[in-house]
Amino acid sequence: MKPKILMMVFLVAGCAAIETPSLAHHGGAAFDMSAPVMLKNAVVTEFFWINPHPLIKADYKDEQGNVQHWTMELGGVVGAQLVGWSRTTLQPGDVVTLYVWKAKTGAMVGRFNKVDFADGTTMRDSQRGADDGGRADTGVRQ
Amino acid sequence: MGRTSTGLLAGVAGALLLSALATAQDQAPRSPWKYYPEDARANVGPGGPAPARDLTGTWAGESSGAGVKPLIRAESPPPLTPLGKQLFDRNKAQGDILIADSNDPHLRYCDPFGFPRNMNDQIRAMTISTVRDRTFVLIAFQTIWREIWTDGRALPANVGGRGRDAHDPTYNGYSVGRWQDDYTFVVETTGMDPDTWATEGGYPHSVEARVTERFNRTSKNDLALTTIMDDPKLYTRPVKLGEIYFRWIPSQTFFSTTCIPSQLQRYLKEMADPAGKPAAAR
Repeated sequence: MKPKILMMVFLVAGCAAIETPSLAHHGGAAFDMSAPVMLKNAVVTEFFWINPHPLIKADYKDEQGNVQHWTMELGGVVGAQLVGWSRTTLQPGDVVTLYVWKAKTGAMVGRFNKVDFADGTTMRDSQRGADDGGRADTGVRQ
Repeated sequence: MGRTSTGLLAGVAGALLLSALATAQDQAPRSPWKYYPEDARANVGPGGPAPARDLTGTWAGESSGAGVKPLIRAESPPPLTPLGKQLFDRNKAQGDILIADSNDPHLRYCDPFGFPRNMNDQIRAMTISTVRDRTFVLIAFQTIWREIWTDGRALPANVGGRGRDAHDPTYNGYSVGRWQDDYTFVVETTGMDPDTWATEGGYPHSVEARVTERFNRTSKNDLALTTIMDDPKLYTRPVKLGEIYFRWIPSQTFFSTTCIPSQLQRYLKEMADPAGKPAAAR
């Protein structure tokens, strides 16, 4: 059973909430939280499962055919695990649609929002995974 | 049949299928090596009376997914002396500012938090273990342990000073502990390296600071920790560093997390600094 399928179940069925982590870490100050950038059919090049934040690196081909190299961070490793992520959730070569809160500096880096997989399932960030940029772990269990 | 009706039927069918798959997943055998927060959350209630003079075991704290009562943070604003304010202003804690602009030694270099910060920041889990003359607090984050002497010795009087009887400051300081009653273990600590921060928010402390922790076990499953720091050089009065609640973990297992300096450097170079510094982004 892939964690992403399990995640979809929980989103559909609704489950007991976990407590809201009270860490003050890593707010959205660096990122444009008005709307996530959608990277359709991005190709994962690396999923770096590290502290303080796992990193997703992906190549995205824009409408002009130019390849953009993106880097985005997930919530912390423990928080990510609590909402179903593991070091193998993404692998190089995966073709996915990524949503990212882009850095205000204009660099192709940002805070991960969610990912749509080819099988129709979705996984979200622990802290910035809601569509409005808020927490997405409420209602989700591992 | 219209598209909407077809879509609804498909959605219901899909939900039922996924629900069945989820049930199968729930019934999968549990690995003793993994932490299942839903199991920790299912362990509701006191679980029985607190054993006397016994804190041993693995405890889930803040942000562990175990349904622990939210912690109470350090009082704010801190009651600082002029020197304390000077040191506090020097510490650029990440929160309102970006990691790229922070000088938090942990965020920039993976430096250990040091005590007392390692007991109020990222304190998602800990294990308490006891031997004849010491109690150890094994902190999950960074896999760091603290040593608390219970043999009746006094705290060292001269830490950080000169002279042959001086003791060097350490990141965890020097700790002694005693039972105030059968369910309250009181720990006193001094001699913490002043380069460390007392909290994630950058509260400073001197080497002479004295921190008092009260571990109060109210049931088999419930442990509360209150912490107060007395540091007259930097604070006009003792400052409350918060109250943290822990729950007994039935499986006695938790995630292991360690900040690896080489990984952190890559994170800063490829993510945090480009996100915070336009120059680095170019």
